Amino acid sequence: MYQLLLREARMRALIAAATGLAAALALVLAVTAMGSPAGHTSPRPLLTTVPQHP
Amino acid sequence: MRRKASLILLALAVFFAALSPLLRWYAFPRLAKIPAGQYQDMVLEAKDATLLDYGTMKARKVSKVTVVQTLKGNVEASEKIERSAGRDVVVWDSLSYVQGPDGKMVSKLPERYIFDAHSQEPVHATGESVDGDPVTRRGIEFKWPFRTEKRDYEYFDAQTRTSAPIHYKGTRTFRGVEVYYFEQTIPWTKVRFPKIMPVQGVTPESLAKTGTTRWYTTVRRFWVEPVTGAPVYGEESHKEELRGGTLLGGRDKVTAFSGDVKMREDYIRHTVDLVKANRTLVLLMTSYLPWGFLLLGAALLALSLYLEARGRRPGEPTPAPATDPEPVSA
Repeated sequence: MYQLLLREARMRALIAAATGLAAALALVLAVTAMGSPAGHTSPRPLLTTVPQHP
Repeated sequence: MRRKASLILLALAVFFAALSPLLRWYAFPRLAKIPAGQYQDMVLEAKDATLLDYGTMKARKVSKVTVVQTLKGNVEASEKIERSAGRDVVVWDSLSYVQGPDGKMVSKLPERYIFDAHSQEPVHATGESVDGDPVTRRGIEFKWPFRTEKRDYEYFDAQTRTSAPIHYKGTRTFRGVEVYYFEQTIPWTKVRFPKIMPVQGVTPESLAKTGTTRWYTTVRRFWVEPVTGAPVYGEESHKEELRGGTLLGGRDKVTAFSGDVKMREDYIRHTVDLVKANRTLVLLMTSYLPWGFLLLGAALLALSLYLEARGRRPGEPTPAPATDPEPVSA
């Protein structure tokens, strides 16, 4: 009887650990799949005058 | 109740412990990249430089020569190349515009530099050029890769259109930032005349007819912040000569430019501040968060085990170790 309870506790712990691992994997995969936005080409020209400041 | 809490804590412990290496070795290499639409300008100055007066064809001392360097990310061009290359690509259109003390143009050198947004490896595609001439770059230009290593790199020289080693010469501190110092020497090399000359009516073709050639040497120095791979400071000891031909009136050679080109002070301060901020962002993904998550995972695991132990009823027998079944004999 006790062996059965122990096995059940181990299964619960295993399921909890697997849930944590799956959540971490899902989060990282989702974030990397989204990536970062490409943005847009700046309208500013290539400079032929000396800027006063950065 | 305590057992339920310990299971939730265990799940969170595994979540954070797993997130730590995933962030460092899976997410960071994929997320850390040069933005395709970056725009950046830089001003460098050569004080007390020598400059050729094309009117008299004699070298003269001038108070200052200014170099304005602009890098502009071309998002449309990068997206077009990405479709065929199958990876994140950055296209930088750049212009090095050199201005004399009188404000007139001395030279200008446009370039198109195409490279992998993550690794900084050059990508060869139509449009890669220097002063309108197609080139095939090897190595890096303008910037080092993220997590720069203490080793020599191949660095592209736009004047000679070739790549040569840029040597790692040690670790230093520049304005409170730990940097790797790199140095490259380009020996005297015959180079092309710029497509656009400072004197109207003079073209590279008309100069070629005189038999006069253009020669160049430089010592290039960079102080590179290794986490971001961004140079925080750069300078160049640059010399150009015109040699031979009928243009020089019997002289063997004349100095076209000679000077130590250094970043302007306000741009140094701006660059150091920018690199420090970017360094923190990179360290967040490569060090602060991974270590923080790992420690958090360990703490949550310890708390989970503690709650599990407390949750057991007093007098509960400890489980007997599982024994192997007895072999059955006939």
